[in-house]
Amino acid sequence: MSTTAGIVLAGGRSSRMGTPKAALEWHGSTLLRRTVGIVSRAAGGPVLVVRAPGQALPDLPPEVDVVDDPTEGLGPVQGLAAGLAAAAGRAEVAFACSTDLPFLHPAFVRRVLRAAEEGADVGLPVARGYPQPLAAAYRTTLASVAERLVTERRLRPAFLFEQCTVTRLDEAALRADPMLAALDPDLDSVVNVNEPADYQAARARPAPEITIQRFGALADGHRGPQPARAATVAGAAAAAGLALDGHVVAALNGDQITRDGQVPLVTGDTVFFLAADAGG
Amino acid sequence: MVAGGYFGRALVVDAGTAAASVLPLSDELLRAYIGGAGLGAWLMHALGPPGVDPLAPEAPLAFVFSPLVGTPLTTSAKFAVVAKSPLTGMLNDALSSSHFAISGKLTGYDAIVVRGACDRPSALLVDGDGARLTDAADLRGLPAAEAERRLRERLGRGWRVAAIGPAGERGVRYATISHDGRHAGRGGLGAVLGAKRLKAVAVKAAAKVAPADPQAVLVAARDLRARSFGPATAKYRELGTLANLLAFNAISTLPTRNFQAATFAEAPRLAAEELAEMRTVTRNSCASCTIGCEHIYRARGGQRARVEYENVFALGPMCGVSDPDAVLAASGRCDELGLDTISAGGTIAWAMECAERGLIDAPWLRFGDADALIRALDEIGARQGLGELLAEGTRRAAQRVGGGSDAFALQVKGLELPGYEPRTMQAMALGLAVNSRGADHNRSGAYEADLSGDLDRLAGGRRHVAAAVETEDRAAVMDSLILCKFLRGVFSEPFDEWAALLSAVTGWDTSGAELRQTARRIVLAKRVFNLREGWRPQDDWLPDRLLSEPLPVASGRVATLTPERLRDMIDGYYSARGLDGEGRPDQSSLADLRLA
Repeated sequence: MSTTAGIVLAGGRSSRMGTPKAALEWHGSTLLRRTVGIVSRAAGGPVLVVRAPGQALPDLPPEVDVVDDPTEGLGPVQGLAAGLAAAAGRAEVAFACSTDLPFLHPAFVRRVLRAAEEGADVGLPVARGYPQPLAAAYRTTLASVAERLVTERRLRPAFLFEQCTVTRLDEAALRADPMLAALDPDLDSVVNVNEPADYQAARARPAPEITIQRFGALADGHRGPQPARAATVAGAAAAAGLALDGHVVAALNGDQITRDGQVPLVTGDTVFFLAADAGG
Repeated sequence: MVAGGYFGRALVVDAGTAAASVLPLSDELLRAYIGGAGLGAWLMHALGPPGVDPLAPEAPLAFVFSPLVGTPLTTSAKFAVVAKSPLTGMLNDALSSSHFAISGKLTGYDAIVVRGACDRPSALLVDGDGARLTDAADLRGLPAAEAERRLRERLGRGWRVAAIGPAGERGVRYATISHDGRHAGRGGLGAVLGAKRLKAVAVKAAAKVAPADPQAVLVAARDLRARSFGPATAKYRELGTLANLLAFNAISTLPTRNFQAATFAEAPRLAAEELAEMRTVTRNSCASCTIGCEHIYRARGGQRARVEYENVFALGPMCGVSDPDAVLAASGRCDELGLDTISAGGTIAWAMECAERGLIDAPWLRFGDADALIRALDEIGARQGLGELLAEGTRRAAQRVGGGSDAFALQVKGLELPGYEPRTMQAMALGLAVNSRGADHNRSGAYEADLSGDLDRLAGGRRHVAAAVETEDRAAVMDSLILCKFLRGVFSEPFDEWAALLSAVTGWDTSGAELRQTARRIVLAKRVFNLREGWRPQDDWLPDRLLSEPLPVASGRVATLTPERLRDMIDGYYSARGLDGEGRPDQSSLADLRLA
């Protein structure tokens, strides 16, 4: 078992925002759908969403597992405990994050996961002035430790870090990853939105810079790669003057084929549009 | 009373004497196998001696028509050529199209089966007066197209001709039979006809056959025609199948240098988008077709070549050749010689790798060398020099060369792989492994699932199995009706819609459920034929290279197809098909095949 998992904690109260952050819109998608999609791209293994008991969630891909916090309002260590327990047995390491990271980049997730894959119990970024426990990698065997801390009502992540090996990744260490340095040089991956003003600022930023390329009969005179801005595959299709349907599919960075317009895009992505019918 | 669209009989001709007999085909039998590839499978069971050498006189070869031929339904002017393959030793059917299908059926037979062999080069003529032979010594050595032209000139108006090129005459195991420039391409059926010393088969219409409900057929034809102009066929109309090339390159599914890579840096030079601008291009259609997928290019020097994805893949990236003029010339050379471009390119690519590894003494043969590609084709067509070895196909050639070269002989059951990389298309990987014809993209269209976005194409599993079964079933019906596969995207409920078409033509009350059962019967009948001819469980497998060499893709992921994963998918396929763990059917399912 060498798979890595993703855990998205969606159960926070969003009290400062005044509305559930998971459902906030950002360039054609919700924050939760976007975060789940980006974590999924980097993790490769199962992705779990941890929610408060009975919490309504925006639409998610069918392969995403939803896990309920046993108790509401106990904070991130409770969510981590539930998520890590659900991931244990399916993955050795998981990237765990909050739902409110509109600029999260898969290159950041991969870099952080690597710290735990190399042996640490926790890969903890320290970026933009703070440790980032809600954008960090955890060994799934920490589930029992987190559960015990919840029982003891020691609910801050720092208590967890006291009981395991932690590799701290400062900004220099993060930027040493050439892919991350190129695609997220300001480490915006950890920029979260807690208050309405944060959200408005995030919305004011343009969608990521991507590249689109249409093939065959879809090209319609537009040959070769072309720059565009889009935060979802549907947005990229619209920029290309196309709609995903039974005859048109998208391939993200030459990898998975999809008709799901909600698949999130990040800076540096390339989206190919091709005819679904490959007969030849 | 015979159902609409059928004559209810096959003509069985002895090529040695031109003596012909009529084989009645019952309504029940026709309903069970429809026509085309399905009926052809039954005919091989009935008329092929078990264990026969495919190149022996007694081996039958059948031209099989279908109930839809002659109707106004778009793309229905197609015929199947069916025989035991000299390349695979298994059942082989290859489709071609256009006027030969219509005239052949209107000779008054649902199939024309040829057995025996002539004592001199001949052509077989079939019309309302039955069958007879005519001397064809003057056609020896000619390209099929030229032989077709001269024979039609000699015979006069109304005759349609299917012919072989020099490769078929010389027994190249992947020689084609062609009509009007279109090839029944795969599996070496041209060599079977050549072994009978038949340069050509000519047919002339002499009878009429009516659908059971002409008005319903007309209405359906109008509807289908309208749909055939829609987005589902745009790719074929506008750029042809070569539109695949750049797209496949972008998603790491373009086999390159004998499957050592799945992207070809120089692919843009060979792309339809480039060629269409740089070369004079003409579009063409088969008879009764509204799609018009054929794109004909003119190479520098004036030679014209029909260009499809498969011939450009096989003679371009597969051999590392990027000069578009060289690829067009090689494609034209295959047409002249009568060679299956996929097997020719695959075999030459294998030989290029052997030469680079020092396993064969051919220092002139290197990846990327266009002159070497043309020379190799000529030697294969003439069975001279290295061509004597390469005319046997990769499986036999690797057995002779040894040195582990079978590990990179990219074939299944002896049939060379088409241009779909199995490691990055893992539903297709299964389809290629288990299909009765061998590594084949027409009888198994599982790539549709890989490109659908509904599953992870890099991680084969049980969902890929279901997709492979479904696409194989659909192909079995389309290849038996026969409708062109390029039309498949216009059907939203294919089995129900095909059943309605078949009912209108035949008068049967056929349902979609019945057609699903028919599909399974046809697929099983092919497998049972192969079992009779010596199929072994290890024949449902992929070459070592695909199972031992991971393939990095553009995203950074690595595509790996392990033997365990393939085994698991094959086990799932066997289960879904009602086969035992070794791929064999039980007795109860054999009874449904009506083979006795």
